Amino acid sequence: MAKKRAVWLMTGFSLFLLVSGLSLRASAGTPGGAEEIMRRSYLVQFYSGKDMRSKVTMRLLSKEGGERVRVLIMARRNVKTGGDQKYFIVFLQPADVRDMTFLVWKYPQRDSDRWLYIPAIKLVKRIAADDKRSSFVGSDFSYEDVSGRTPEEDNHTLLREEKYEGKEVFVVKSVPKDEKSDDFGYKVSWIDKGNFVLWKEEYYDKRGSLSRVFTADEVKSIQGFPTTVKRTMKNVQTGHWTEATFGEVKYNLGFADSLFSERSLRNPPGELAR
Amino acid sequence: MKYFLASAFLAALSLHPCPPALALSVHGFLEGVAGARLTDNPAQPKDATLGEGRLQVELSQEGPADSRLFFKADLIGDGVEERGDADLRELYLDLSPVQILDIRVGRQILTWGTGDLIFINDLFPKDFVSFFVGRSLEYLKVGSDAVKFSLYPGPFSLDLVAVPHFTPSEIPKGERLSFFNPFANRIAAPGESLSMRKPAATPENTELALRLYRTFGSYEGALYGFRGFFKEPAGMDPADGTLFYPKLSVYGASMRGPFLQGVASFESGYYDSREDRPGTNPLIENASLRYLLGYERELWTDFSVRAQYYLEQMLEYGVYKVSLPPGSPEKKEYRHLLFLRLTQLLRYQTVELSLIGFYSPSDEDGMVNPQISCKITDWLSVASGANVFFGKRDFTQFGQLDKDDNLYLRLRANY
Repeated sequence: MAKKRAVWLMTGFSLFLLVSGLSLRASAGTPGGAEEIMRRSYLVQFYSGKDMRSKVTMRLLSKEGGERVRVLIMARRNVKTGGDQKYFIVFLQPADVRDMTFLVWKYPQRDSDRWLYIPAIKLVKRIAADDKRSSFVGSDFSYEDVSGRTPEEDNHTLLREEKYEGKEVFVVKSVPKDEKSDDFGYKVSWIDKGNFVLWKEEYYDKRGSLSRVFTADEVKSIQGFPTTVKRTMKNVQTGHWTEATFGEVKYNLGFADSLFSERSLRNPPGELAR
Repeated sequence: MKYFLASAFLAALSLHPCPPALALSVHGFLEGVAGARLTDNPAQPKDATLGEGRLQVELSQEGPADSRLFFKADLIGDGVEERGDADLRELYLDLSPVQILDIRVGRQILTWGTGDLIFINDLFPKDFVSFFVGRSLEYLKVGSDAVKFSLYPGPFSLDLVAVPHFTPSEIPKGERLSFFNPFANRIAAPGESLSMRKPAATPENTELALRLYRTFGSYEGALYGFRGFFKEPAGMDPADGTLFYPKLSVYGASMRGPFLQGVASFESGYYDSREDRPGTNPLIENASLRYLLGYERELWTDFSVRAQYYLEQMLEYGVYKVSLPPGSPEKKEYRHLLFLRLTQLLRYQTVELSLIGFYSPSDEDGMVNPQISCKITDWLSVASGANVFFGKRDFTQFGQLDKDDNLYLRLRANY
């Protein structure tokens, strides 16, 4: 009797394995679920390589013709792909923030730890950062746009599949699970079916009107990783927009974890800062 | 010192077999600052608290093997003190002879601890006069002529600073701000000054400061030690009518990390007043225990609040009270100080509105500093604000400045 039960159990278990294996393969080959599309796009945008460094130039442009420029060097290390990350930023321009450094330990499940170093008084300041939607260095990009919004924070729906500027894309609508936490009502993303590059994203406010539009203006393959080297975020409600160019992009530089520390804030090492 | 550093650096440069492209960067700013009193002050004949032009030059030369020579100096035309001046703010050489060691030699600004404008374990010189008359924040700190060793052996880090040449903090001395004359027991009259006696520059008077720190997940912990002198003249010598800087040792600790969607910090220190341990000498500050609790949080986008509570407990208070000569201003055993900073950024973070407030319920004094600053372009900025002081008694920190309320305006062009 016991033997018979064991056989049934074995059979059931094998069937379960087979089915789940099949479904896994199916989702890996042609991702059907909107969650899976957003997850893969998130990894392509924010987790390529073990680490990365780039010189970022941001042009902040106003409707009235005003222009401000921010230049910084950004280094990033994945502690765990899709999970914790560490960022290090050195500001080069404008003059009033030159040589300031910024360190972020990012955790997808809770608030990041952030430190800012002010060189004029040699002060390492801890930044209280509850609001992930706050503007990054006064640009139209938020902190979250720079370091990524965890896909698990939203519910995703595949709206349609279409062509966007000659490329086959998925169009996905994402609504924050926590209605109170964010200042956008929902967003719509155009994601490349081939390499999961995010080509366009529209943010709608709580009232349902379009607030910001992201576009990837130039994507290059660098060391085999599709990299958005030029991108724009436009605030359609104010007419202000920011163009960000990622120059000198390099992946897999082999950054040690200890580089992302107070020592580097106070005295940025060449490998992170040049 | 300057020449030694420069020649050592040049020697290091010339020894390097194949010099890579070593970048020299030149930066700085030109700044005009004006400040005026808001009220008449009988102790101060001049209406201006600030009137100066500053040219700051900053040179940074990278050398081989992560070395660097850094120079920062101000040329100042001062209308209040009616003189020209040059101020060598920083001149140091950075070396990293081995992977786990950084050395900084020369005049350098040193800062550590968790406080915002309130310091316990940061015993490096400060210039509160600059802060109280409305100069920009960088002038709050004064450089020390020092050697700093930073060790990074692994799980923790260690900073060890030796300061062979004592530099005091700047305190109100009558040129711009009133001060309480403890010998006369009143606010000093115009032209009155106090002489201060600095400790002699001898090897045994070399100040030592130490910080041992590490992170525990998202939390930062640190232990501190200091052996040197009070940075303010906390001792009186009635024999020659001078103030002096008594011997001081400090042992402290701090912790900082996330708390309730913000950042909380705690710092404490034991001030061992080595020239008056029993507290029997009323002319030298007693030993004390000091605590600082801080909390900062962004309440909404680009609006943050920081609150601090500082407590100072005088030790041997009973002895102090008994030994105090009749008629002398009597300090309280506990000094409480509350601090609040509100910051709102506007217009793509190019406009900053800030409000800083200090209030001591025990001293019944305090100050308020509202300020608006604006980045007109990437290279041109303007800031304006006011410092308003209040206090019931002349001998307290802010009370002595009660009639020094001022308004200031700064215009700065960076290059």
